[in-house]
Amino acid sequence: MSTALHELSATPAPTGAAVHRPRRRSRARRACAAALALLVGFALVGPLVLGDPAAQDLSRFLEPPSWGEPLGTDDYGRSVLTRLAHATRLSLVLAVLCVATALVLGATTGVLAAWRGGWVDAVLRGVSEIFVALPALLVVLLVAALASGGSLVAIYVGIALAQWVEYFRVVRARAGLVLGSPAVEAAGLLGLGRLHVVRRHLLPDLRPLLTTLASLGMVTSVLAMSTLGFVKVGLEPPRAELGLMITESFPFYDVAPWMVLGPVGVLFVLTVSLLGLRDGEDAA
Amino acid sequence: MSTRTPAPTGTTGRLRADLAATDVVVRHFGRTLVDVPRLHLQPHRPLTVVGESGSGKSLLAHALMGTLAPELEVTGAMRVGEASFDLADRRGRRRLWGRELALLPQEPVLALDPTMRVRQQVAEGAAGWPADRRGALRGADERLDGLGLAHAAGAYPHRLSGGMAQRVAYAAATIGGAHVLVVDEPSKALDRPAVDRLADLLLAHAAAGGLLLTITHDLRLARALGGDAWVMRDAAVVEAGPVEEVLERPSTDYARALTGADPARWSRRWPTVHPAGTGPSGPGVEPGVEPGVEPVVEGRDLRKAYGDQCLFAGLDVTIRAGERWALTGPSGAGKTTLGDVLLGLTPADGGRLRRADRAAGRLQKLYQDPALSFPRRVPVALSVDDTARRHGVDPARVAMLVEQVGLSPDLLGRRPDQVSGGELQRVAVVRAMLTRPVLLLADEATSRLDLLTQQVTVEALMGQVVEDGCGLIVVTHDEALAGALTEHRITLGDDPRR
Amino acid sequence: MAAALSVPDHRLGRVLVRRGLQAVGVALAVSAVCFWVVQRLPGDAAYRIAAGRYGYDLVDAEAAASVRAELGLDRPAWQQLGDWLLQLVQLDLGRSLVTSQPVAEELAYYLTGTLQLAAAALVVAVVVGAGLGVLAARRPGGVVDRFTTAYVASVRALPPFLLGLLLVLLLSAQLGLLPAVSSGGPRALVLPALTLGVGLSGLVATVTRSAVVEVAASEQVRFARTKGLAERRVQARHVARNAAVTIVPYLGVQAVVLVEGVVVVESLFSWQGLGHALVHAVFWRDVPMLQATALVLALLVVAVNTVVDLVGLWLDPRPRALEGVR
Repeated sequence: MSTALHELSATPAPTGAAVHRPRRRSRARRACAAALALLVGFALVGPLVLGDPAAQDLSRFLEPPSWGEPLGTDDYGRSVLTRLAHATRLSLVLAVLCVATALVLGATTGVLAAWRGGWVDAVLRGVSEIFVALPALLVVLLVAALASGGSLVAIYVGIALAQWVEYFRVVRARAGLVLGSPAVEAAGLLGLGRLHVVRRHLLPDLRPLLTTLASLGMVTSVLAMSTLGFVKVGLEPPRAELGLMITESFPFYDVAPWMVLGPVGVLFVLTVSLLGLRDGEDAA
Repeated sequence: MSTRTPAPTGTTGRLRADLAATDVVVRHFGRTLVDVPRLHLQPHRPLTVVGESGSGKSLLAHALMGTLAPELEVTGAMRVGEASFDLADRRGRRRLWGRELALLPQEPVLALDPTMRVRQQVAEGAAGWPADRRGALRGADERLDGLGLAHAAGAYPHRLSGGMAQRVAYAAATIGGAHVLVVDEPSKALDRPAVDRLADLLLAHAAAGGLLLTITHDLRLARALGGDAWVMRDAAVVEAGPVEEVLERPSTDYARALTGADPARWSRRWPTVHPAGTGPSGPGVEPGVEPGVEPVVEGRDLRKAYGDQCLFAGLDVTIRAGERWALTGPSGAGKTTLGDVLLGLTPADGGRLRRADRAAGRLQKLYQDPALSFPRRVPVALSVDDTARRHGVDPARVAMLVEQVGLSPDLLGRRPDQVSGGELQRVAVVRAMLTRPVLLLADEATSRLDLLTQQVTVEALMGQVVEDGCGLIVVTHDEALAGALTEHRITLGDDPRR
Repeated sequence: MAAALSVPDHRLGRVLVRRGLQAVGVALAVSAVCFWVVQRLPGDAAYRIAAGRYGYDLVDAEAAASVRAELGLDRPAWQQLGDWLLQLVQLDLGRSLVTSQPVAEELAYYLTGTLQLAAAALVVAVVVGAGLGVLAARRPGGVVDRFTTAYVASVRALPPFLLGLLLVLLLSAQLGLLPAVSSGGPRALVLPALTLGVGLSGLVATVTRSAVVEVAASEQVRFARTKGLAERRVQARHVARNAAVTIVPYLGVQAVVLVEGVVVVESLFSWQGLGHALVHAVFWRDVPMLQATALVLALLVVAVNTVVDLVGLWLDPRPRALEGVR
C-alpha cells in the first residue's frame, strides 16, 4: 500500500513546456477515462452475459483462443474470458467500497481534527501515528487470514482500515492550512459563519485533493487485492481474482500465453488509467 | 555599535575601469520589457534606477549581469574596462562573476544556503577557495567582523534577521574583489535602520572607487546614495540626471507623480476625528458617542512572547472611537502580533484586555497580501456579496462603495489571483466597510505595493475611514506613512537578534 | 547578543521521544492485532497445529487437546494476551510451534536475510531512482524526463509480485542469467533485490526530479553562481545537499513500502527472510512466530524512520516545524 501524501507532493508540477502540457494532459485524461469506462462496462456486463466462471470442462484443457472462447481456456477447462470478467468486477467493486469507506472516514476525521484542534486532534493524530508505521499489508494479511472460506468482508475491512490513515493525514494537513489561512480569519471577522467557510473555503480546496486521493486509493486497493491473491491469503482458488489468475497461469506461460496476458493486461490497464485520472489542478 | 566598513579588496591599485552598455533591449515573446540606448557607470558616482514594478528596472540590472531567465531574449553590447561583451551571450560573462561583477540579491534570506554556515558561505566567494581554505576562512572572518557580524559567523542563515542576512550576502558577494556592484531592490525585506546601514556600505564601496548600480523603489535610499538617478517606466528611461534634480525638481509628469507619492511628501493629512461637540460634525461621526467615555479597546499590562523572545511587556493601550493609531518598529518586533492581540485574534500571554460591547463583530482587518484574505478559487464578487447579505447591506451601497474606491464593477467577477494587489486591497476595504466597523486594523496593508499604487490605495482607505468615522490601527515600518495617517503611535522595541 | 544565536537544540530529543513512543505504540498495536486475529481463527487452531507437528493422519482429538493445554489456548483471552505481553517485556519470545526452536534464534536468522534484501533493494532504488531523477531534472520536458515519467507510471501500476514474475521470466527463464529460487550465495540476491528495488525506484525518481528542479531554479543557487563559484561546486554542494533535504524524508516513507514489498518478494523467490517466515507462520498458525515476525517487521519500519529522521537532522539545520508530516 503506497503512501498517498507523498505521491501527491511528489507529482512534478509542469515546468518549461507548461503551455503545451494542459492540452496533452487533458487528452491523456480523456483516454484514461475511456479505457476505464470500457473496463467498467466489461466488468458489469460480462458476468451477466457470460457463463459460470467455475464451470470446468477438463476435456477443454488449455485451448487456444477461438471464436467461441476469445481468451481460450485454462488448465481446468474454464473460460478465461468469463473468469476475467468476474475478476475485474470483484476488483472494481471491492476497490470502490474500500476507497469510499476509507475516504469518508479519513476526510471527516481529518476535517474534524483540523477544525477542533485540542485533544480531539491530539488523540486522532496519536492513533494515526501508530497506524502509519504499521505495514498495511501486514494488517491486511493478518485480518485476511481470518477470511479463509471466502469471506470478503475481512478483506474489505482490512484494506479500508489500512487506507483511511493516509487520507486522514493528508486531509488534516490541507484543512489545517485552509482553516489557518488569513482568508478564514477574515471570514471570521466578517461574521460569515461556519457554513460559509465550508462552502467557500474548504470544499473548493479539498475537492481536487479528494479526487486525486480516490484514484490513488483505487490503484492501491486493486494492487493489494492482487497481492493477497498472490500469497493466497484471503483470496484463494477457485475464486476468480486478477492476482490469483496471474499466479495460477504463470507456470503455463510458454504453452498458453493467453492465460497470462488476459489478467496482466486488465490489471495494467486498470491501474494506469486510474492513475491517469488524477486531478492535475491539485499540483498546488 | 560602530561598523567599520572595509574597503572592497582588489580595487586599490587596479585600473579604475568603468562600465558602458549600449542598446540594451530585453524582449519576451515580442513584448519589449527593457529598451535603454545608453548606460554609463563611473567610479565614485553611483547610479540609482527607480520606478514601479513592471518598469523593467530589475531586468536591466540582470541583463547587464547576465542572470536573466532563459526565456527572455536580450540584445546589446557592454564594455567593462577594456573587455567587450555581447549581452546575448550569457555564458561569456560567467567568469566575471564574483571577480569583477557582483550582484546583491533581492531577498537575502532566500539567497543564502540554509544548510551551510555563514562563514563558509562568505569564504566560498573568495578567490583562494577551495585551494587556500584557511586563508579564505580567515578573510571571511575579517569581513564579517568589519560588518559587525563576528558573532554570527558560525551560525546558520535561518537565525539571521533580514538586515544581517543582507550584510552577509554583501560580504559573500564582494569578497571576490568585484568592483562593479549591482544591487537589486535591496530594501524590500528590510526596515529603516537596516536600510540605512546598507546605504553606508554601498556608499563606502563607491567611495573606494567601485562602480555601483542600484535598483530600488525606495526614494529615500536613492537620495542617500547620491550620484545620478534614472526614472524608468514601461521599459524606457523617462527622466535622468543628478539625484537631487530628479527627486526634487522632476521635469516629467510621471516623475513628479512618482516623487509625490512618497508618504514623506504627502501634502494632505486626513482630518482627524474630534470629540463630539468640539470639532466639525459631519457624516459618519456617530451622534451621541462620546469618545471620552468608553474606549473601543483597552489593554493593561499586556505581555506576549514568541518562543523565548519577549515581544512586549507591561504595555498599556487605550484606543477610543475614531482614533487613528500607528504601531511602528523594526521587523520582528511584534507589531502584527500586537495588532492581532488588540483585535482578539490572538490571546496575550498576560495582562488584561477589554473591548467595548458595541465593538463585538465590528472589528476588521486588512492583510499584507490581500490575495490570501479571499477564498482562492471563487470570484471576488461572491465574497463581497456574502458579506453584504450577512449584514443586510443594500446592493446599491455596495455598488457605491466600489465606485468610491475607484474600481470598475466588472473587476469583481475575477478570481483573486487575476486581480492586482492594489486593486484587491481596495476590494478588501469595501468588504470590510460593509460591516460598518468601529475599528479597522491595516496590517502592513500597503507594504507590498508600489509607491503610486500605495498612494491610490491609501486614499481609498482613508476616504472610507474618515467618512465612516471608524478607528484605524496602522501596522507599518514606514515612519513617514505612519506620520501621514495617524495621530497616535506605539513604537515597539528593537529586534533582539541585531 | 551571542546567546540569541546559539539556542540549544531540542530537535534530537524530540525525534527520539517521538520515535520511541511510536515504537511502543506500534508494538502494542501489532501484538493486539495478532492476538485478536489468532483468537478468531476459524477451525481449531490447536488441531491444525497438532496436525502440523505430527502429520494429518496421526492426529486426533486427544492430541489436539494436549496441544491446547500446552499452549494455554483454553484460558481466557485477556489472560493469554497479558502473558504474551509479559513475556515480550522479558524478551522471551517463546518457541516455534512448528519447529520447536526458540523463536528468537529463528528470528535472528530470518532478520539477517531480510536486512540483506532490504539493503540491496534500497541501493538499487536509490541508484536507479535518484539517477533517473537527476538526469530528468537536467532538462525538464526533455527525452529523459518523458521516459522517466513513463517508467515511473509503469512501475507504479505493477504489483511487486508481477514485476518479480516478469523479471524471472526475462532474466532467468529466457536468458538463464540468474537463478529464480534462492540457493544461497550472492547471485540469488540479485533478482529479489532488483524486483523490490525497481518497485521503490519509481517514487524516488519522481521525488528526486522535483527536488532537483526546484532547487536548481532557486534564488539560493543563483546567488551561489553569481558569487563566482564553479558550476561543479554549485551542483555538488548546493544543489545536491538542498535537494537531499527534501528527498531523505521520502525515503523514510519508503520504509513501509519496503517492508510490504519484502513480504511479497521473499515469498515469490523463497528468500529466507522475515516476510517468508511470516507467510508461513500465518499458514501454519504458528502463533509465536506469527506474533514475533509481525512485531519485528513493524519495528523495522520505525527503525528505518528513525534513521531517516536522524540523517535529516544532520542535513538540515533549520528548526523543524513542530507538526511534521510524518
